[in-house]
Amino acid sequence: MQSHSPLNFAGADSPAGHDRRAIGFGGVVSPLVGEMAGRPEGAFIGRSATVLSCTNNFTPSLLLVPSMPRRLLGLLLVLPALGVIALLFILPLVMSAIGAFQLDGGWGLGNFTKSIDLYAKDIVFTLGIVSLSTALIGAGAIAIGGYLTLGAHPVAVSILRFLYRWPMFIPFIVVGQILRTFLAKNGMMNNTAVSLGLMTPLDAMSFLDWRGIVIAFVWKQTPFVALLVAGAMASVNREGIEAAVNLGASRLRILFEIIVPQVITTLSVGLILSFVTMMSVLSVPLMINAQSPTMLTADIAFRVNAYGDYGVANALGLISLLLASSVAWIYLKISMKERA
Amino acid sequence: MGAFRPSLSVLWWVPRGIIFGLMAFFIFGPLFNMLLWTVTEKWYFPHALPLEYGFSAWKRVFEPRGGALESLGNSLVVAVLTVAVSLALAVPAGYALARLKLPLRSLILLAFLIPQAFPNLTVYVNVARIFYEIGLNGTIAGVVLVHVSHGLVYAVWIATAAFSAIDVELEQAARSIGAGAFRAFRDITLPLAAPGLLASAIFVFLESLDEFTGSYFVGAPDVNMLPLLLYTAGSGGNYQVASITALLLLVPSLIFMLIVERFLKADVLSRVGR
Amino acid sequence: MKKLSYAAFATVFAALPLHAEELTVVTAGDQNMVDYINQYLAPLFEKTYPGNTVRAVGTGAGDAGSQKIVERFDAQAGAKAEKWDTDVAVVHEKFVGPMVTKNYLDKYRGDIDTGKLVTRDNAKMALGTNVEGYVMPMFNSQTAVAYNPALVANPPKTYAEIAEWAKAHPKQFGYNGIKGGASGVSFVMGWIYAFGEGDAKVLMNGPFKEEETKKWDAAFKSLAAFTTNATLTPGNAGTLDLLSRGEIAMGPVWVDMFYSWKADGRLPPDMKLVLPAPGMPGQPMHYVIPQNAAHKDLAEKFVALATSPKVQAEGIVKRFNWYPGIDASHVKAELDATTWNKLFVDISPEDLATKGKPFPIAPYNTAILEAYEKSVK
Repeated sequence: MQSHSPLNFAGADSPAGHDRRAIGFGGVVSPLVGEMAGRPEGAFIGRSATVLSCTNNFTPSLLLVPSMPRRLLGLLLVLPALGVIALLFILPLVMSAIGAFQLDGGWGLGNFTKSIDLYAKDIVFTLGIVSLSTALIGAGAIAIGGYLTLGAHPVAVSILRFLYRWPMFIPFIVVGQILRTFLAKNGMMNNTAVSLGLMTPLDAMSFLDWRGIVIAFVWKQTPFVALLVAGAMASVNREGIEAAVNLGASRLRILFEIIVPQVITTLSVGLILSFVTMMSVLSVPLMINAQSPTMLTADIAFRVNAYGDYGVANALGLISLLLASSVAWIYLKISMKERA
Repeated sequence: MGAFRPSLSVLWWVPRGIIFGLMAFFIFGPLFNMLLWTVTEKWYFPHALPLEYGFSAWKRVFEPRGGALESLGNSLVVAVLTVAVSLALAVPAGYALARLKLPLRSLILLAFLIPQAFPNLTVYVNVARIFYEIGLNGTIAGVVLVHVSHGLVYAVWIATAAFSAIDVELEQAARSIGAGAFRAFRDITLPLAAPGLLASAIFVFLESLDEFTGSYFVGAPDVNMLPLLLYTAGSGGNYQVASITALLLLVPSLIFMLIVERFLKADVLSRVGR
Repeated sequence: MKKLSYAAFATVFAALPLHAEELTVVTAGDQNMVDYINQYLAPLFEKTYPGNTVRAVGTGAGDAGSQKIVERFDAQAGAKAEKWDTDVAVVHEKFVGPMVTKNYLDKYRGDIDTGKLVTRDNAKMALGTNVEGYVMPMFNSQTAVAYNPALVANPPKTYAEIAEWAKAHPKQFGYNGIKGGASGVSFVMGWIYAFGEGDAKVLMNGPFKEEETKKWDAAFKSLAAFTTNATLTPGNAGTLDLLSRGEIAMGPVWVDMFYSWKADGRLPPDMKLVLPAPGMPGQPMHYVIPQNAAHKDLAEKFVALATSPKVQAEGIVKRFNWYPGIDASHVKAELDATTWNKLFVDISPEDLATKGKPFPIAPYNTAILEAYEKSVK
């Protein structure tokens, strides 16, 4: 069996390819279960680097309904979901997005120039915060997933498996609240450090600024990406890894040279979903630091609540949408190119 | 990364212990903080721990008039329905996006991202307006639809990834021994994609449980959801009530996750036994 | 086409709206607003008018909560709904003007007996819009500066003294800017009242003149300098939070929030309030009834009960420690002196009368906020 992916290390050997099929048939092992059972193999989404980009390299015999044009069938399958989004979100969004171009006396870009005038700093700040958080989340997710996959000691692996998922279940507004009381100057973190004698009350400092927002985002989103990545890593072929181990490769090298390239798509999908989510979270910046500079969502809320100014609010919303989708777009283009 | 040389396993527990200890502190510290607030009567500087413990905030939350239980029930029903509808929509869509040739594929994928990418404060007024016009406001169905529009980004993107990851040859093999197209999908592809789909189900479930703005505009006052209570308490700094509400939301999420794990595990075991 | 697709959609997902015969009260504000209705007012109403039920919905603290009510009305007006799903709404003063201008509200005050118990100006004008007849004040709230007596023995009595104090005690004064809630906004408005070169009375009562907005440059310059020396807190609750953990010694707060934080044990009991001269703004929370409310008669009965002297005395003053909405003389008569005086432990009635100011009228309000955004960074 041939691998579809040029990046698929494991698939390069034919026995490995055979093995993959066996796993595919034999066990549906989720990342969750894979972790619970301590069994790293399983069919999860990150199996190959072609995730999200594998479409056209298979034979026509696969057609579900040979008589129906393939494009039409595809559209039919996508249409219900697309319809929900179009009617329930995109249409209402367009209804309000038009407002961004509406000025007192007609149409124009006045709201955008005002947005840039007042909030250029916040736009940069938002991008910076979210990019930094995304990078840290990615690093954390790789570390957690890597340890779950390669960790030698089963007890240590199960401790980590037990530990890492919890923050995922806490709603953002509570994340804001509990991290505010945790990270404050006299919050629980510093109090603990002081009572352990690690520092004096005078050294205590507050993290309730941009660092607080980054910490809150990383705290909440790392488990989400780690869950996806760990699942994908679990489905990476073991034989390739074991072969590399036998050749004396360090685990760190195995992680970055064998495993990460194979789960890069899952990682990217998880990070993009996180990036986009963080761009639109309001409660965290509001509860941790809503000062200047602050995140765009706080500015949008402020424009609406303080001025009833939907024009600038929507302009800021569109700017935020533009930033988020360009990141996704870049990813989609890269994955297309790789496929080609 | 602690365990590179298992032979030195005892020594390795030192760095492991430090790293796990720090992780535990940063993960459970804030959670413990939240737990403490749920039973706090008095807590202020310079006291590192609450001065007085009690359950008066619990009484406040569970007062029959407060409707916390009803809201919790609504939230659960809506979350489960949201997961069902999202998956029902995302499975065909994800399959098509992964396997079939689609025009404007990237744009379609981007479209699903929009509800998550546009700060939705200004959008829900319009959603509410449309829903008032068609009589969906104040209905469970209305709230589910709004949550679905948010959940679909996870469901579709992850489903697409999950289907893409499955070897086409497996389906081909099934077809070549005479299985119909739908059967091949049902018996081969779908079970293989199930773990990914179920992981996305967890995210959709969480997203629905946490959603506030849409729930307020479309649900309230007829269908009240728990995050409404959480938001009112949280935004005003009522730590006790907000923490209790968050705890209430945490429980179904954990149960849902356990069910998913259990379900999958049983499935795997039965396959192994066959 | 659009209509058609939605209709088709609706039939697919048709579900019966739950039409309960009950009065729906939607309230902005903190949890304690919902608690007030659920724990006190609603049971009382149901006892007074048997057979009816009340349900309360909270929309979140601060301006954002009131804005959500406005938007709810916007949506129903846009959808041309005949019967709105809100019977009584409780909103901040600032949002009443737009609601009246957009013709959302019923002019009901003349219909209820308690209507004549309110003579205060802020029941007639709301930030420059005439709202007479459309509103009944639920309670009056005031901003003031809270301080920790352990850290501040002699609290500053004026804005000028606050500025001096903050200079001498860097980062010990905290406020939440203008994006985190109205207590910070109020502090800023007070600053302009104190240091702006125009006439504060014009800002409060109008008329709006463009040239007035040019008179704040020096005030904003000093506020920017002041702010670099101060701690910026995350929101109204954030100021209280930092006060409670001793990270700041002083900061502007809403008096009602201050008391509820104390009552919930989140603030040390020895914290105190001071209302600095020349004064800080306060505002009432108003009961309003939408023109298209489904249960208008019942709604009027509800507001009449809520603004009766007995309820204002027992519920607003005694239980929740808020300044009454209707004229104080009617309420005071219902209470013993000790309970009444509890309202004025830190801030005397005289202080309140002389230093409790309204917010500037809407156009000045907007101009000040925008000027702040540009000059204090």
